[in-house]
Amino acid sequence: MRRPNYLAGLGSLIWLAVIAVPLYAVIATAFRPSSQYVDDGPLALPSQFTLDNFATVLAGNFPRYVGNTLFVAAATVVVVLVLAVPVAYSVVRGGGRSSSRIFRLFLLGLAIPAQAVIIPVFLIINRLGLYDTYWAVILPTAAFALPVSVLVLAGGMRDINAELFEAIELDGASPGRALWHLVIPLSRSSIATVAVFTALNAWNGFLFPLILTQSAETRMVTLGIYDYIGQYQVNPPQVFAAILLSAVPILAIYLFARRSLVAGLAGAGGK
Amino acid sequence: MNRSRWTRTLFASGAALAVAVSATGCGGGSTEASSPTGDASFWTLQDPTNTVQQAGIDAFNETGDGTVTLDAVPSDGYLDKLRVSMGSGQAPDMFFSWGGGPMREYAEADRIVDIASLPGAENLADQFLPSVLQAGSSDDGTVFGIPCRGTQPVFLFYNKQVFADAGVEPPTTMSDLQDLVGTFQDRGITPIALAGESSSSWTELMWLSYLTDRIGGPEVFQRIESGEEDAWRDPAVLQAAETIQDLVDSGAFGTNFGSVGYGAGGSSTLVSSGQAAMQLMGSWEYAVQQEASADFAANGLGYVPFPAVEGGAGDPDNIVGNPTNYVSVTSGAPSQTAADYLETLTSDEYVQGLVDLGEVPVTANAEEALASAPNPDYARFQFDLVANAPTFTQSWDQALGFEIATPMLAALQELFNGQQTPEQFVDTVAAI
Amino acid sequence: MTSLTAARAGRRSAERRADPSQGRPGVLWALPGLLFFGIFAIVPMVGVLYLSFTDWDGLNVPSLIGLDNWTEFFSDSTVLSSTVVTFVLLIGNLVAQTIAAVLLGAWSAGPQRNRAILSSIFFIPLVLSIAAAAVMWRQLLDPNFGVPSKLEWLFGDGNLLGTQTGAIACLIAVGSWQYIPFHALLYQGAARAIPRSLYEAAEIDGAGRYRQFRAITLPQLRNTMVTSMTFMIVGGLTAFEIVLVLTNGGPGSDTTILPFLMYREAFQSYNMGYASTIAVLLLVLSTAVSLVLVRLTGYDRMKSTLEGV
Repeated sequence: MRRPNYLAGLGSLIWLAVIAVPLYAVIATAFRPSSQYVDDGPLALPSQFTLDNFATVLAGNFPRYVGNTLFVAAATVVVVLVLAVPVAYSVVRGGGRSSSRIFRLFLLGLAIPAQAVIIPVFLIINRLGLYDTYWAVILPTAAFALPVSVLVLAGGMRDINAELFEAIELDGASPGRALWHLVIPLSRSSIATVAVFTALNAWNGFLFPLILTQSAETRMVTLGIYDYIGQYQVNPPQVFAAILLSAVPILAIYLFARRSLVAGLAGAGGK
Repeated sequence: MNRSRWTRTLFASGAALAVAVSATGCGGGSTEASSPTGDASFWTLQDPTNTVQQAGIDAFNETGDGTVTLDAVPSDGYLDKLRVSMGSGQAPDMFFSWGGGPMREYAEADRIVDIASLPGAENLADQFLPSVLQAGSSDDGTVFGIPCRGTQPVFLFYNKQVFADAGVEPPTTMSDLQDLVGTFQDRGITPIALAGESSSSWTELMWLSYLTDRIGGPEVFQRIESGEEDAWRDPAVLQAAETIQDLVDSGAFGTNFGSVGYGAGGSSTLVSSGQAAMQLMGSWEYAVQQEASADFAANGLGYVPFPAVEGGAGDPDNIVGNPTNYVSVTSGAPSQTAADYLETLTSDEYVQGLVDLGEVPVTANAEEALASAPNPDYARFQFDLVANAPTFTQSWDQALGFEIATPMLAALQELFNGQQTPEQFVDTVAAI
Repeated sequence: MTSLTAARAGRRSAERRADPSQGRPGVLWALPGLLFFGIFAIVPMVGVLYLSFTDWDGLNVPSLIGLDNWTEFFSDSTVLSSTVVTFVLLIGNLVAQTIAAVLLGAWSAGPQRNRAILSSIFFIPLVLSIAAAAVMWRQLLDPNFGVPSKLEWLFGDGNLLGTQTGAIACLIAVGSWQYIPFHALLYQGAARAIPRSLYEAAEIDGAGRYRQFRAITLPQLRNTMVTSMTFMIVGGLTAFEIVLVLTNGGPGSDTTILPFLMYREAFQSYNMGYASTIAVLLLVLSTAVSLVLVRLTGYDRMKSTLEGV
């Protein structure tokens, strides 16, 4: 039996404090009347419990921002999957030099940071007449999710037994049929990983909404929260309530898709 | 999308009250060739005033000769959105703005017209208080914007209870103010609440603007605004910066103001909770305090004009702030319809509507209407301040535009934080 | 179920004969994705270079002005000071986050039960978007009504954002708070994949815990470190959300990092052309870093390393 690692224990306790203290402040404050916040501060033990802050947030524009963001996230996932699955399929099964060139192009695409090209993207979105629409966020978000998605999907498809491909190809199946009946069913887990990550990216996206949208009609949750800092006489309990609400969908993904999510993440370093 | 501009914009437009205003769509404007009458689109800022505007437009549209359509655009990034639409050829026929630099840019690009050139609008500008027209005019005095909202001067707010407890009166001169700094410090109270965090540095600008005006008169900034050589090197700017340094060094703003944000509610809560005695802020501060505690706003919050500086060249009646908001008419708009509509902005109904919302209109005929304001004393105080002001200097950052305002605010913040001496500050801003 | 059907179909069809080139997806299949990626990523990459030679105010049409922006760029002291701040923040984040994430990742990879429970708490910041986390901290850091006001022994008068050192420390702290869990998760996965036999062999040789960590764990995490640091560096060179929310580049211009400077020039001052020069610099820097790191570890390893992401 090994002796316990006291040093690690101490370190983990410090980290626990770093994580838990602010989270406590946020949660406790969100359920506290705002008058109490000014008197007691964020770290006080809650003496009064209220759901008013959540009610106020939900009565405002927040639900609409959530709706906007859910729509954008879903549309982005669809766009990414519709485009990335055929690319990955062609890269893995296409053979020849062009396939590997395409793959390398997407690999290099990983290195393009969205922030560095936001000015031309702004110009393009304006020229397309898409400024301040959902598509202004969906299209660039999807485009910048493509390289990672292609990598993940191609990785998954490479694991498919080559004999299966040969068999279905010998059978005279068209590439479309092979994709539909063989590739997609056998790539479900990498498709799920791509979907989850794209949705997370879209949900947490800040840059594209900040620069490519303006109005409350198209506002994303992240910008809605950012607005709290400048918009009204700030009421910290309400801000914290909104922040907690914004984390609910992601928390749900973590609860339901944690396994594939963590597996995907872990795979990043493990191979 | 500058935060300080946003924040200012929002507070200045009374958006503190606008928590639950419903949204309106905002379609593109018309760009068809200009015939004198026709349908005109009007972009305005989405806020509680929209109901008054819509009522005025409904009445106007019934009289025939063209109609006006109101598009209430949400406040965030309003100016950016306007800019994009002006650049995209989908410009509205009329639009709301804060005047100053951005509006003048459109004037220089011939995107908006001289109001006096509209049929029948030759003397329209004369119906407004003279001090508020300047920010809606070009440098040579041509009026490009007609006031359409209330006025928002900046003045000194204070906590009445804190002053009563200390047995002192609000300051009327700078030396009063400096004495009060010592008084409150002895009592363990921050004399002046200041939001000095970077995105709130426009609150620090209020001090520089007022001190420069009191010391050197409004001409100093007028020269800066028109881009005159060495205008920043006016001794008044240096003296104002030195006064700021003295205030900071004497602890007038406490020690941690550099981390306090106005948008985050930090400075106003200091005053309402009695931890600080005073705050220099725009007239929207009343609504901000009311949102937090109606009782404190009505009974605990005092207000006085910015103190005079002994021996200064500026008239102590001069004020600084947001004179008002303006409607401009784009070239290509139906001129007669636009002119007729602008005329309605001086009507008794429109003025009364603004007053009922707690705004302080800037038409010469607004005075009687103020008696029915939600807080008549407060409205009256502001109206008199503006009516008696020989000059109403627009907030410097808005008058100068982002390109100059951003480095200026950064330098100012360094002055307040003690990272720059007054001399260095002048050198920095003169080099912009 | 589906795979079973497919497998059965495969076995059946393998017995037949058909043209082997038939049924393979051509380049055409990749075309829509390529075009789409081209429009929103490749074209802008070239476009930003083009725009850096133009004068564009966002209102009119960009007009070519030759090298003017670049001349200004190389004589602009703001660019220089922003570059310094950018790298200070970058290195600070890199050091703080890597050390913490490696330790946390290795620790949480352990089989102990309490570690599993604590880990689920440790990774909670992952559910917050960076914007939400930054706004949360902006509120919590208020010197008079936030956390500092209650912990005076630790924070003094709470003027954390009012000095350059304080503001930079806050930016690193908040960035670390938000991102360490993600990187720790990467390390946790990698640490779990280290063969137990290595540790068992080391134990037989009498190596202590520290030696095992240094001689086995760290070397085995090398690839993950490259991945994780690439994320940190590229992110640090280009992301400005935390700065925008927390310090707005202040006090003064003390935390005006390059991407924030670019954002401000482009979307507040409307010097789109000049902002593009800064964007080109960022693009070159971050691409160079990625490529160097890819070279360092080898192309194939990079490929497989990223496949799971």
